[in-house]
Amino acid sequence: MASNPMQQFSVHKIGPEIKIAGIDLSFTNASLFMLISASIILLFLFLGTKEKKIIPDKIQLIAEMFYTFVAKMISDTAGSKAKPYFPFIFSLFMFVLFCNMVGMLPYSFTVTSHIIVTLILALFIFIAVTIIGFAKHGFKYLSIFVPSGVPAVLLPLITVIEIISYLSRPVSLSVRLFANMMAGHTMLKVFGGFVISLGLLGGWLPLGFSVALTGLEILVAFLQAYVFAILTCIYLNDALNLHH
Amino acid sequence: MNRYFGFFIALFAIQNDLFAAEAGMPQLDPKYWASQAFWLILVFTILYISIAKFYLPKIKSNLDNRENRIKDDIEDANKFNELSDLKLKEYEKILENAKKEVIKIHIESKNLLDKEIQTKKNTIEKEIEKEITKAQKEIGDLKKNSISDIQKISENIASSIIEKISGDKLNESSIKAAVEDISKKNLGKYL
Repeated sequence: MASNPMQQFSVHKIGPEIKIAGIDLSFTNASLFMLISASIILLFLFLGTKEKKIIPDKIQLIAEMFYTFVAKMISDTAGSKAKPYFPFIFSLFMFVLFCNMVGMLPYSFTVTSHIIVTLILALFIFIAVTIIGFAKHGFKYLSIFVPSGVPAVLLPLITVIEIISYLSRPVSLSVRLFANMMAGHTMLKVFGGFVISLGLLGGWLPLGFSVALTGLEILVAFLQAYVFAILTCIYLNDALNLHH
Repeated sequence: MNRYFGFFIALFAIQNDLFAAEAGMPQLDPKYWASQAFWLILVFTILYISIAKFYLPKIKSNLDNRENRIKDDIEDANKFNELSDLKLKEYEKILENAKKEVIKIHIESKNLLDKEIQTKKNTIEKEIEKEITKAQKEIGDLKKNSISDIQKISENIASSIIEKISGDKLNESSIKAAVEDISKKNLGKYL
């Protein structure tokens, strides 16, 4: 191997070291690509809403399609009560999608391939959903752990399983996105390395794989953003509507 | 997804000393975790606020505008459609009435014309009859007159012929008697 396929995930400092209360908060390449992704989103939305045309142009149409796509996703999974959380889910979907997509560019950095990033998003969602659940239903929210129609004998076991599954939500949510992104990018790197090491004679097969995997990874980038957003909607639905 | 994730793990474990500290996953190195968390929260908060405050309301108002416009247009179209249906019915009614009137006028005028023609025909026939009787009378008169004229002319011719042939003048009354006699005999032949 010419280079370590995990090299692409390494974080390094850009510019001066920033230390606040002894914690290193330096601007890194990860921060840079978060900023780039967010800037692209804001630029895209700016261009998409610059002219309010009755018959939209292309970029306005795409912005509106994103809007209706996320709006439909929320109303389908969480109902009309989830309307106040639409901006958050829209931002989340756009951020994850654009981070994934920006990560597909060669020499770029994939923000969402870091467990800490996805874990913070997932934890925030988990805590927020739990707070919303208790705020809306009080202690009745705990009934989410006691599914109806279960025999009394099984109830203690089921409740324990439900609690574990509830608590593992942030882990599964974050690891799903992180692992998918990391695996895909490592695969691309490994096959890219095979192309080099097998040379002009044997490198064509891994090159073909690389091309195919790039297509697959673009699909995965979209799909994982969608899955992340829709699972957030489902968790939100549990908190808002409370029927198991 | 899981299938090739497993494949990657196997491949990767062979390629690298996976769990060695230096060559391992940079994701698990906590050195920049705080920095990433900090920048993520900062960037995402800015993104969320600008999306929630500026862009989504803009997109929403535009979508609502369009929907309202479409709704209004459809309403207008329905209204105009109803109006045109109404007008069409009115027009058909007018057309039907007009057709009925046309038929009525046609029959009326036909009757009127027939009557007029009949009266005119009658007067003309009467006039013609009158003319015919007058003409017949005239013809009868002419006939009567023509007989005496012919007698007179015949007398003259006869007297002049006799004069030419014999050189004598005959008694006029005897010639007249002779012509009358002959013409009476032959009158039935010509008239």
